[in-house]
Amino acid sequence: MDFFKYITKRILQVIPLLIIVSLISFFIIRLSPVDPLAELRLNPSISQETLDKEIKRLNLDKPIYIQYISWAKSFIKGDLGYTSAGEKVAVKLKERIPNTLLLTAIVIFMTWLVGIPLGILSAIKKETAVDRMLTVISSVGMAIPSFFFAILLLLFAVKTGWFPAGGLTSYNFNEFGFWGKFIDISKHLVLPVVVLFTISLSGLQRQMRANMLEVMDSDYIKFARAKGISEWKVIFKHALRNAINPMITLLGFEFAGLLSGAALTEYVFQYPGLGRLILEAVMKSDINLVMASLMMGTIMLILGNLLADILLMIADPRIRGAR
Amino acid sequence: MKRFITTIIVISIAGLVLVACIKRDVPEKVSVKFKTPDLEEIIYPADEKNVTIDGVDYLQSQAPCGKFGGELVISTIGEGPKTFNPCNTKDATSSTMAGMMYDGLVTTNPRTGRVMPLLAKSVEISGNDYIVNLRQGVKWTDGTLITADDVMYTYKEIVFKGYGNPSAMDAMKVDGQLPDLVKLDNYTVKFTTSKPFAPFLRQLSYPIVPKHYFKPYSDKGESVFNAFLTPDTNPKEIVSGGAFKLKEYVAAQRVVFERNPDYYKINLKNEKLPYLNKLVYLIVGDSNNEILKFEAKEIDALALRGSNVARYKLKEAASDYIIYNLGPDTGTLFLVINLNSRRDKNCKPYVEPKKQCWFLNRDFRAAIDWAIDRESMVRNIASGVAEPLFTAESLNSIYLNKYIKGHPCDLDVAQKSLEKAGFVLKNGILYDSCGNRVEFDLYTNAGNLEREALGVMVKQDLENLGMKVNFKPVEFNSLVNKLTNTHDWDMAIMGLTGSPLEPHDGKNVWTSSGSLHMFNQRPAGYAIDDRFDWEKELDKIFSEGALKLTYEERKPLYDRYQTIIYNQKPIIYLYSPIRITAVRKKVKNVFPTSLSGLLYNLDEIYIQ
Repeated sequence: MDFFKYITKRILQVIPLLIIVSLISFFIIRLSPVDPLAELRLNPSISQETLDKEIKRLNLDKPIYIQYISWAKSFIKGDLGYTSAGEKVAVKLKERIPNTLLLTAIVIFMTWLVGIPLGILSAIKKETAVDRMLTVISSVGMAIPSFFFAILLLLFAVKTGWFPAGGLTSYNFNEFGFWGKFIDISKHLVLPVVVLFTISLSGLQRQMRANMLEVMDSDYIKFARAKGISEWKVIFKHALRNAINPMITLLGFEFAGLLSGAALTEYVFQYPGLGRLILEAVMKSDINLVMASLMMGTIMLILGNLLADILLMIADPRIRGAR
Repeated sequence: MKRFITTIIVISIAGLVLVACIKRDVPEKVSVKFKTPDLEEIIYPADEKNVTIDGVDYLQSQAPCGKFGGELVISTIGEGPKTFNPCNTKDATSSTMAGMMYDGLVTTNPRTGRVMPLLAKSVEISGNDYIVNLRQGVKWTDGTLITADDVMYTYKEIVFKGYGNPSAMDAMKVDGQLPDLVKLDNYTVKFTTSKPFAPFLRQLSYPIVPKHYFKPYSDKGESVFNAFLTPDTNPKEIVSGGAFKLKEYVAAQRVVFERNPDYYKINLKNEKLPYLNKLVYLIVGDSNNEILKFEAKEIDALALRGSNVARYKLKEAASDYIIYNLGPDTGTLFLVINLNSRRDKNCKPYVEPKKQCWFLNRDFRAAIDWAIDRESMVRNIASGVAEPLFTAESLNSIYLNKYIKGHPCDLDVAQKSLEKAGFVLKNGILYDSCGNRVEFDLYTNAGNLEREALGVMVKQDLENLGMKVNFKPVEFNSLVNKLTNTHDWDMAIMGLTGSPLEPHDGKNVWTSSGSLHMFNQRPAGYAIDDRFDWEKELDKIFSEGALKLTYEERKPLYDRYQTIIYNQKPIIYLYSPIRITAVRKKVKNVFPTSLSGLLYNLDEIYIQ
């Protein structure tokens, strides 16, 4: 019962947070000197009446706080409003979210599948050739800026012709059979996944190594070893369970990054995800679209943290006891 | 010792790799003077003809007959179309896409720029009456006939009500009055304007939409209509009438069109056009990605920019593409000088009084004009892919004043002009007759690399005259705000896109009450007549020019306006970019023109 109480409390805490985040972002966007109509103003064939009409349509003639209130009202009702070009924000987001999720989910799955074992491995084999090699590889991975790496790979794709130059599907995608479609998407995904994978793998692997080393140094591990438990059991039963705790918190953050973590790479690869959409929206000060994506990011972050806390409670009896 | 050797080896390997990279990456310093006479070599087909077969009025293309089938893949930069509703397009991509699906009554002749019939069989003009005869037997994609009712609906219930993009309504107004429109019979309508208005005929290029498909939405009010035909509409439901119909839209990836099997254009063998089975627009985010896609052979045509032109030209012989020089663009880049001598609400002058004395002096402005080195701007900033510009009309305009030849950069002439205006040069520093140092600000929008580079060159050129120029790139919106609202600027580098067909579109820039009369912006509703004589003449030219109906009558007027601007120099033109495009050799029936670009005749193009 305590468990549900705790979750309800956490969810209620979200509300003031959302209000603060939305207030700050709304005012920052609206107070920035970006005028969504600047281009229209410089168009010689646009008349003043047309400009006035546009100003009215985009609510720019009202004071900022009224704009905010009208946005907040419809947001609470679940209506995300329209983009400045007149499309439904919800529809625009719905078009892009699956693509971004596909990319980030694959990347997170792969990095965890590879990163955690590698971290454990280099902690166990501390100061050996294996550990050094992994250190060098992860340093390289951490040092390369993602957009630079992405551009290099894109050039590689164009020169060799082995991979398509960005995008998610070929133009004749709909004529392929199921496996054709599968192969087409896979081919398009290889390069962006490689970029994101290399970069997040390094961090994860280093983190896991450090956690593991810390635990391996502790007294209870020495005690377990002294008791004569097999090394295998020491590592997986005693050390790992303790070392994994900080990683679960990290998983919560990764969850938050599911929708926003890949924007830069998406842009370079012309991947049809949320990154490109939101970048364009920010440039044009398309307020409803920007606000929707910011709110989405905030909610994902909060959900991620909540998820991590719940997982921690399951994994760690100490935390359960403390509450 | 071992560690030392390892370090050395690693460093030298890294060094070698770097050297190898650098050698490859330094671009070849080829500055081509791009003077290909490409367009003159092209043999253009004759103009299209009306042909009636079995009671259907077809439009016969005179281009060589081609092969049916095949697909053409081209690209559009940005985030793709925002709507397929041809009445509600507010950006270039959306209007291109919607234009594919809906035709207007008339269109522009791609070579001469004159108006020619499209969905209309003919337009008879007598006085203020425009009688439009429609083609008989032409159908929408659902088999319904296109009749006068559709035309009546499009104009009366969409354009005249200001639905969708309201600029169409603005353009139809003559002296603030909408034209009369009556239906004469099922295939004839008549427009009557309140007085003769030359730009009116071209407004009939507004896309005609099917009444039976659009009316249920427009009846529900403007907001429902504006949300109609958004890109996520199911393509099977859409009723259209253009050469291509929508097959598929995938957000941020592509728009696919397929041929309309029942289009009213036919080839010389009387077979129905278009040739292409499929037309694919890939949506690419920026021009770099477009280049990559062209290199990876994913797209068939590419607009080339600046430094790329030389590289592509060198590779052209051994490649599968042809490069066309489409000539100067409609875009113009210019230096505008603030001639505003008014005061704001607090009686503070917008421009410092001493600067007003300089800027209002014609000789001062002329000195600036003579000191600017357009040739080296073209060479260094545009990589040779531009033409120096001296006229207010763009170089491909059909109203271009060919007698304005321009002049080379000449510092002596500039200095003489300054002396004449009473300026004194002491130790390389320029002072005015009251002993004030000549110093002013030059603005442009930050982030636009071309304009920033132009700003630096203008600054250098003017510093040769002893002026001190504070070059300040500012954010685009703040610049627009300065130009249109606060007026507290001295000079600015800007660009505008004009219309090569209709000089009257520039009336907001040139008439003294215009909303973009940047160089001497008056507040809205300004009642005092403080126009310069030449501003009065410009006002007169623009009001008269619109009333004259024939090209021959209008040309001298618009020639005169360009002469005035050239002589008075409130705006000093710098250059116009040249458009260079590459298209694969397998694409046939390509007849590029300077007015309409490369692929305007998609219904005649075929793939070999």
